[in-house]
Amino acid sequence: MNLFDKFAPLAELRNALTARGRVSSVATPMDNVQSATTATIDGKRVLLAGTNNYLGLTFAPETRAAAIKAIETLGTGTTGSRMASGNYLGHRELERSFAEAFGWPSAIVFSTGYQANLGAISALAGQGEYLLVDADGHASIHDACKLSNATTIRFRHNDPENLDRRLQRLGEDARRTLVVVESLYSVLGDRAPLKEFVEVTQKHGAMIIVDEAHSFGMFGPKGLGICAELGLLDRVDFVVGTFSKSLGGVGGFCVSRHAEFELLRLASRPYIFTASPPPPVIAATQAALDRLLAGDDLRERLWRHIHRFYKAVNALGYRVGSTDPGPVTALLFNERDQAIALWQGLLSEGIYTNLMVPPSTPAGLNIVRISLSAAHSDEDIGRMIEVLGTLAKQIKPIAA
Amino acid sequence: MAAAPDRVEAVVREALKLAAPQIGPVSGDTHLASELGLDSAQVMDMIMEIEDRLDISIPVASIAEAHTLDQLCDSVRRVLEAA
Repeated sequence: MNLFDKFAPLAELRNALTARGRVSSVATPMDNVQSATTATIDGKRVLLAGTNNYLGLTFAPETRAAAIKAIETLGTGTTGSRMASGNYLGHRELERSFAEAFGWPSAIVFSTGYQANLGAISALAGQGEYLLVDADGHASIHDACKLSNATTIRFRHNDPENLDRRLQRLGEDARRTLVVVESLYSVLGDRAPLKEFVEVTQKHGAMIIVDEAHSFGMFGPKGLGICAELGLLDRVDFVVGTFSKSLGGVGGFCVSRHAEFELLRLASRPYIFTASPPPPVIAATQAALDRLLAGDDLRERLWRHIHRFYKAVNALGYRVGSTDPGPVTALLFNERDQAIALWQGLLSEGIYTNLMVPPSTPAGLNIVRISLSAAHSDEDIGRMIEVLGTLAKQIKPIAA
Repeated sequence: MAAAPDRVEAVVREALKLAAPQIGPVSGDTHLASELGLDSAQVMDMIMEIEDRLDISIPVASIAEAHTLDQLCDSVRRVLEAA
């Protein structure tokens, strides 16, 4: 026995996922990337339909120019934490922009989206306090719970009544509890019943943090997310999000309607003990945020694609993970081989998507995840629908 | 609040059957992951079923060291005793 023996099941899974074709669905090697929607894989140009580049801002002229200018004037990195030598004007201005956009007093920028959850959740709830988390939450949420000294209890996915029972059992301790949910779940693309979650949370005097990683930029007024869309910004306590999806960079943020949130800068280990995001990343993110807040054109274009695509895949007989159309469409299969066949078939036709299989998927489902971008053309969407139509005849998804 | 020990074991076994219907008879010292092949999602489903049936909340950390059916029953009993 040695330290690597425990990874044997992972090696088996990797082999199963790569045996069918030459290109692996795990860590698919991109030879080159030409634009927000095209890359070269295995020497062949492909259409990207498996990224999180929802607004296509990775290649926007203003974000690229801002990053280049920041490198020329401020250098490539900060080499320090925000608590030491890495606290630049750009970091503080970006935080001010997020706070102003939400109309809230406090915003903190983290070095990644993962660290935003880690940093906010682990510091907000500590020893003798409670974290009530949705069972299907992202790994960063569950890891944040491990880092925290709070008592963690899971409740059933998207089930406010189940949360209510758990808060009820806590009695007075519910007032020392943080409820953690996502607004839009990234695997199946399903939305949380946020209004009900907020009502249950407030009924028991707890606080709630909502992860809008996959909804910020696409939903609500100015793209501020589903909490804003539902008019919940005066009731939700914290919103967390990432720069690496609709904003096209890397990093994360947490905004709060409580001014005391600023104190987390002195308490949050994932904020304190890591280097701050480098100047080009902050500059590009600021440009992307400004672009996102400036108008609805990108969102309108994305939503036009979403409605067209969602209608088409349902008509083709695919089993879809969510009844709410959104930027992520999950095609579901009971059999792993069916999902692998579809993923490989799409790639053979020049369309890159994501393959997801148990144990990292909810309810043991095998999933081909397709994500759309405002940078896709009408022809791109048409091509995806056409290829999915051809493959539906071979794979017979209805029988899944 | 307390439930008789046999009640706890019965509930845990019912929850196991729901989470993994294909599994046959299981002894108390059977390892849930390495021997029965339960993945983390199935274990989580099982825990939630136990919580609902016994009307308790089981902290994630309280079952971190529960690898067998007997160990899981012991963990659940400790949560019940503390409730």
